[in-house]
Amino acid sequence: MNALVKLSAFEAALAEALPEGDLRAELSARGLPHRRVEDWKWSDLRTALARFDPASPALTLTASRSPDRTAEPEHGERLMARLAGALGQGEVYELAPGERLSLDIRAEAGAGHKVIEVIVPDGAEAALHETYQAAPGALANIALVIRVGAGARLTRLIEQDASPDGVIVLTGELELAQGARAHQTTLGFGARLARLETRVRHAGGGAHLTLDGACHVGAGLHLDQTTIVRHEGPDGITRELFKSAAAPGGRAVFQGKIHVERPAQKTDAQMNHRALLLGEGAEIDAKPELEIYADDVVCAHGNALGALDAAALFYMRQRGLDDARARALLTESFLMEPLDAVADEAERERLKARLRASLGAVS
Amino acid sequence: MLEIKNLHARVNPEEGADLAILKGVDLTVPAGEVHAVMGPNGCGKSTLSYVLAGHEGYETTDGAIRFEGEDIGELEPEERAARGLFLSFQYPVEIPGVPTLTFLKEAANAQRRARGEAEISAPDFMKLARENAAKLGISNDMLKRPVNVGFSGGEKKRMEIFQALMLAPRFLILDETDSGLDIDALKVVAEGVNALRNPERGMLVITHYQRLLDHLKPDVVHVMAGGRIVESGGPELAHKLEAEGYDKYAGEAA
Repeated sequence: MNALVKLSAFEAALAEALPEGDLRAELSARGLPHRRVEDWKWSDLRTALARFDPASPALTLTASRSPDRTAEPEHGERLMARLAGALGQGEVYELAPGERLSLDIRAEAGAGHKVIEVIVPDGAEAALHETYQAAPGALANIALVIRVGAGARLTRLIEQDASPDGVIVLTGELELAQGARAHQTTLGFGARLARLETRVRHAGGGAHLTLDGACHVGAGLHLDQTTIVRHEGPDGITRELFKSAAAPGGRAVFQGKIHVERPAQKTDAQMNHRALLLGEGAEIDAKPELEIYADDVVCAHGNALGALDAAALFYMRQRGLDDARARALLTESFLMEPLDAVADEAERERLKARLRASLGAVS
Repeated sequence: MLEIKNLHARVNPEEGADLAILKGVDLTVPAGEVHAVMGPNGCGKSTLSYVLAGHEGYETTDGAIRFEGEDIGELEPEERAARGLFLSFQYPVEIPGVPTLTFLKEAANAQRRARGEAEISAPDFMKLARENAAKLGISNDMLKRPVNVGFSGGEKKRMEIFQALMLAPRFLILDETDSGLDIDALKVVAEGVNALRNPERGMLVITHYQRLLDHLKPDVVHVMAGGRIVESGGPELAHKLEAEGYDKYAGEAA
C-alpha cells in the first residue's frame, strides 16, 4: 500500500500546498484515489484530475444564511475529506427548528475545497438543500458532516448539476442519534467525474434512514453514488432506493454497503439499486454489499440491470410517439420512483421537471 | 384503402433464424369495409399485423403495402400511426409509471403534429375521454392507472378499443381482440368496434374464431394458411371454418 507512485502535476501541487505532516506524506506516497483502490475502482479520481491545474481556485458557496461559526468543523477520516479540511475553509451551521438551509456550491476554477458541518439539534425538524456544480477544469472537493440529534428529523436534498469536464467529490457523513430520522434524496446528472459519497452511522438505536437517488448520466459523463451505512445501535431502519440510467457514452456507478454491528439487533435494512442502459456504449457498475455481525436482523439487497423494453417502445410508437419521445417517456417513468417519495410537492414537481428536461422530454 | 400485394416477410435475421413467415399475401380492404383474416395458429396472422404496423422484428423481402395509394412499407411505426393505422394488440403492453390519459394525449398530439393539425386542448381531450370511457364501461379509476398496468386480459382489450376511439384512426387492425374475453366483455368490445365503423374507415380483423365476427359482421372473410391468403368469401365462410376446422388447409402450411 505504501509503494511510491509517480505523482501527477496536480497531485504534486496539492501535496506542495499541504503543511508537513501525515496527510502530506500519505498523499505524496499514494496519490489520489484511483482504480486500484477497491472502493474507487470504478471512479478513477487520479486520472480524472491528472491534467487539472489546482492553482487559482475559485469555489463559491452561496448559503441561505451566514454560518454560525467558521472554526474547525469536523470532516471525518476519508482522504478527500481530510484534504478538504487541510486546504479549505470551514463553516458550521446549527439549524433552528423548522429551518430550511440551502447551500449552493460552484467550483469555477482550480481546486476548491470546503468543509461544512450541519447540526440538527435534538427533537428539531429541519431541511438541507445542496446544489453542486463544477466548471470545466475545476474541482469541487466538499466534506460535509451532518449530525442529526436525538429524535430530530432531517430532509436532505442533493442536486448535482451536469458538469462536463468538471470534477465533484462530495464526502458526506451523517450521524443519526437515538430515534433520529433522515430522508435523503439525490438527483444527479454526472460530471467528468462526480463522486457523491454518503456515509451514515446509526450511532444511537431506533433511527430511521431513507436514502434515495435518481440519476441520468449523459454521454461523456460519470456519476458515482456510494453509500456506506453502519448500524451500531439496535432497532435501526434503513431503506435505500437508487435508480440509474446511463446514455451511450455515460457511466453510472452505485456502490452500497450496509454494515450491521453486533449490538445492532433488530436492524431492518433494505437496499435496492435498479439500472437502465439506454443504448450501446452505456456503462453501469454496481456493487451492493451486506456485512452483518448481529444475528437477529432483517437485511436484504437487490440489484437489477436492464434495457428499455422493446415491446413497450413498439407499442408507444404504434400509437404515434416517435422513438426518442417513447424512450424518454419510458426512462422518465423508470427514474421517477425515488423522486415520488419527496414529501414537499413543489420540490417534487421541480425535481421531476428537471429530470424531464434532462431526458429531452417536456410534457 | 389498404392494398397488400405479394407481401413476403421474415423474422429479422438479427433477431433470430432466417424464418420466412409471409409468403405472398394479397389482400385489399376498401374504405368502409370490414375484412376478417382467419387461420390456424402459426399461419402468419399476427405477423401480418406486426408487419403492417412496421415492427422492426420483421423484414419485408418482397411485395408492397399501400395505404391510401402511398407505399408505407418503409415508414417508421409512428409515421404509419400518424397516417391513421391503428393496431389493437393481441397482448397489450403494460407501461408502468405512464398514466393512460397522459400517454394518449401525447400520442394524439404527436399524430396531429405529424399531420400538420392543431393539437387537442386538455379540456376537449378530457371531455372526449369521458364520453368514450362511458361507451365502454371504463371507470375513472381505470383511466387514472398507468397504461394497462394491473388490468385483466379482458380489461386490456377494452382499453385498446378505448384508445382506438380516442385516436380515431382511419384504419384498424384488430389482432385477436377476442382472445381473453368472456361473452359479456366480447359484446362490449364488439359494440365499441361497431361504433367505429363508418364509410371512410377500414378494418382488418384477425381472429382464430368466428364468435367475434358474429358481432362485427365482416364484409369479406379471408383464410390464411402457410403465409398466404388461400381462400376468400362472405361471412358464411367463417361459419364453415368453425364447423369444419382448418384441416383442409393443412397442406398449405410450409
